[in-house]
Amino acid sequence: MNDTQLPRFQVFLQEQEGQPHQDVGSVHASDAEMALQNARDVFVRRPECTSLWVVPAEAIYSRTAEELAKEGGEKKEAGGEGAENPGLSGETEIYCVFSKAKSAGTQTLVGEVQATSPAEALGEGIARFAGGKAPFAWWVFPARLITRSQPQDIESMFLPALDKPFRLSTDFHTQTAMREIRDRKP
Amino acid sequence: MYGATVDPVEQVNEDEKLREFEARIGRGEKIEPGDWMPEEYRRQLIRMISQHAHSEIVGMLPEGAWITRAPSLRRKMILLAKVQDEAGHGQYLYHAAETLGASREEMLEALLAGRAKYSSIFNYPTLNWTDVGVIGYLVDFAAILNQTMLARCSYGPYSRAMVRICAEENFHKKQGQDIVIQMARGTPRQKAMVQDAINRWWWPTLMMFGPNDSDSPNTPILMRWGIKTRTNDQLRQAFVNQVVPELHDLGLSVPDPDLSFDETSGDWQFGEIDWDEFWRVVKGQGPCNKERMEARRSAHTDGAWVREALAAYAARQR
Repeated sequence: MNDTQLPRFQVFLQEQEGQPHQDVGSVHASDAEMALQNARDVFVRRPECTSLWVVPAEAIYSRTAEELAKEGGEKKEAGGEGAENPGLSGETEIYCVFSKAKSAGTQTLVGEVQATSPAEALGEGIARFAGGKAPFAWWVFPARLITRSQPQDIESMFLPALDKPFRLSTDFHTQTAMREIRDRKP
Repeated sequence: MYGATVDPVEQVNEDEKLREFEARIGRGEKIEPGDWMPEEYRRQLIRMISQHAHSEIVGMLPEGAWITRAPSLRRKMILLAKVQDEAGHGQYLYHAAETLGASREEMLEALLAGRAKYSSIFNYPTLNWTDVGVIGYLVDFAAILNQTMLARCSYGPYSRAMVRICAEENFHKKQGQDIVIQMARGTPRQKAMVQDAINRWWWPTLMMFGPNDSDSPNTPILMRWGIKTRTNDQLRQAFVNQVVPELHDLGLSVPDPDLSFDETSGDWQFGEIDWDEFWRVVKGQGPCNKERMEARRSAHTDGAWVREALAAYAARQR
């Protein structure tokens, strides 16, 4: 019973066109293509998705506000989670920057930066996207490592959920039925 | 850590960190992976979240048994969708536990080896179709009360998983209530069927909320750290107060001779839970414990070739 449950991929979901991708959780899969399929089954059982991304979990460089405060002034090079980034080229490339702006919020795409390492991408992201607020946590990863659903996948991957209104609680009129029953009682 | 060799400087640092951590909880902030947290907070969360995940996975079995016997195509599609949701909820929860450093392999191994706990309610059998309605209506509503509380808990990934789950659980509860209403308005035989299901599921559902507060050693620390905000007994009372009048409106009753309405508190007071039965089922002596574990183990073993094939394909792609 010690067989592997396969590598983990973080899943990002866009609910509607024009909205940023948001973290929804992770899936385990043998490769990125299977991860995308699993992500669809786990996170899109209802019609609320126009695009899905999966990213190898170990490629995500993560820092909370608390960690950044602790590291402050130390001028640390890339360390901790995400440091063993696979295929890190050391060349300039595009990184996606996510942050969690509200305490009860979730990691949300705030923009892209050019950088040579995750640590540099994070520094650049903080400088450009923190604004007046102080986000609670940040994630960065190279855009190159995203496997995404394509526009032509929408019909087969996401639209079938529209034909299953019974998956929504609004399809059941239990409150109306209970009111009728109460009204009819003497 | 508790030995005589504790470095005093280290200890002061730990106390300082704990104070800061509890101040964050006090301000209502969510703790995220990477933030400092007491080992006991991590341990309690891994325990709770993995048990919760196992419950979702084992919870597919009692209802899954009725998919092939659903009375109409619509009811079959609804039940399939619900059981699929439970599988998804298990995945959301295993993920939340993984953010605390628990591995999927360890959690699964603990379940399959019989070391992990899961909700005892799933160790009872589903004997007739109305059991599907009563599970949705009572069991899922009890779960919603607990999960609505946990959606506000102090650990970010658990709280976010709960928000997603609660939205979907509302469908589970309402499809169950819909079946119960339909049967209660049906023929005398149908009404007798649904009453029989309620009689069997009522007490196990009340047990779902866990031991009385006086016998729940984990509750104080869980409340102090914002993991729980209501006690087992408070949640149980909220459940009874909501469900009893609805069942009475439907012409149904609950199997409790001590049930009475208390005018002063506004609470429905109920009889003593059979805690011997509760502990018997928790410890593996329930009607279906063995069957459930065998079903999980054979699903895992029967799926081994799929995992092997996936790994072989992935290796060839590289």
